[in-house]
Amino acid sequence: MKVFDRFKARFEIFNAILIAVVSLTTALSVWRTNVIGSDAADESRQGLIDAVKKQAFGNENARKAYEEAGFAFQYAVKQAEAEALNKSNDPAAKDRAANVEQYLLPNMQLLASPLASDEKYQNPDGTYNLQMLLEDMAAEDESQLNPQALFKRADTLYSQKRWLVVGSILLALSLFWLTLAEISAERFRAWEFAIGLGTYLLGMAWSFAVEFIFFFIQRGA
Amino acid sequence: MSENAPPTPQENRERYKNLIIVLTVLTTVLAAALAALQADASIRADIANRDSQFLAVQASGELHRSGLEANYEFRIFGDYLKDQQEATILELTALEQESAGDDEAAQTTRQLSAAAQARADVGQKFSIFYNDPRYAPASADEIPRADQYIIDAQKKANELIVQQNQASDSYRRWNQKSDSYVTALTILAVAFFLFGLAQAVKEARLRLTFAIFGMVVIGLTLMVTAITLIG
Repeated sequence: MKVFDRFKARFEIFNAILIAVVSLTTALSVWRTNVIGSDAADESRQGLIDAVKKQAFGNENARKAYEEAGFAFQYAVKQAEAEALNKSNDPAAKDRAANVEQYLLPNMQLLASPLASDEKYQNPDGTYNLQMLLEDMAAEDESQLNPQALFKRADTLYSQKRWLVVGSILLALSLFWLTLAEISAERFRAWEFAIGLGTYLLGMAWSFAVEFIFFFIQRGA
Repeated sequence: MSENAPPTPQENRERYKNLIIVLTVLTTVLAAALAALQADASIRADIANRDSQFLAVQASGELHRSGLEANYEFRIFGDYLKDQQEATILELTALEQESAGDDEAAQTTRQLSAAAQARADVGQKFSIFYNDPRYAPASADEIPRADQYIIDAQKKANELIVQQNQASDSYRRWNQKSDSYVTALTILAVAFFLFGLAQAVKEARLRLTFAIFGMVVIGLTLMVTAITLIG
């Protein structure tokens, strides 16, 4: 009877220590889950900020590109007009064309640059490749701002949080069973302790596996 | 001791305690499942909310871009029409001047007409309404399909708005679910409290009363959870 009492007292102390360890582990797991959730929210927030910035750049690029396209069109029109005047037999018209070509067109070309000045934007039929200009402008901004990449990282972190929550729940369940083992009648204790310990080990293994898998997923990304 | 003998005070104190333990375990498992469902719904709501905001930014940008494009295209089209009509009018004027015998004036007017026609030709070359088969008139008598151009210009923005609305609806749905799970968890806390009281009281009948009320609360929680899951 005395040996049994000593075993009972030792079991209660051991279980109490285990409860303390599980409580601490559960708190750590919940903290880690929240840190991951916070990181995911940060990435989403930064992604949205970058999206607004990128869109603002895009809007400005479009405004600039269509403004230049308007000037380039006016330049092409004036060039055609000068050519038509040049074909005339009237010396006054030829003089007008010469002056337009000498004084007006260079300034109009400057306004319409790079569309009217850079050959890579000029189509064989005399029109301009506005799409190429827009793509070139966007490429300059895209090298710095990539909201989609941040959203993808946020989604991975959200996924990690989701699986870590499962680990935290397993740890909380083990805490419950170990507490039951501490306060229950003799006949249930062994089973409750076994379930509690098993759930704890499963929760720990689960949480470590989640961390391990997502570490490699993020490194791969 | 007879089988029908009343329970001793010790037996009375321990009665229904196992039931309370089973119910508490059940409540804990239910709370754990609810916590997982709530976390998942909250994450889905966050992602849908972010996507809806991102798509709103994109849709506004696309509306801005398509507006600038339409402005550019209609300005070219307007310039083309003006120059084309100017060339025609000047040509008619030149013919009238020739008929009146004023050949010198007619020559000058014809030069102006040629210049206007040259401008109109460039306008036609640049205009999407004459180069794109979707909008170009089928014959010289017809006018370009400007209405089709407007529909197409707005198409991408409209698609983005549809996606944005879907993401917004999804956010609302998941956020509502997340809130409902929080409600269920709150109700479940009452069950925990009742089972805790049931454990603490010494009277078996009182313990059973608390247990019954706790079970009713669990039933209510299950109902809220089921409605949320289905909805």
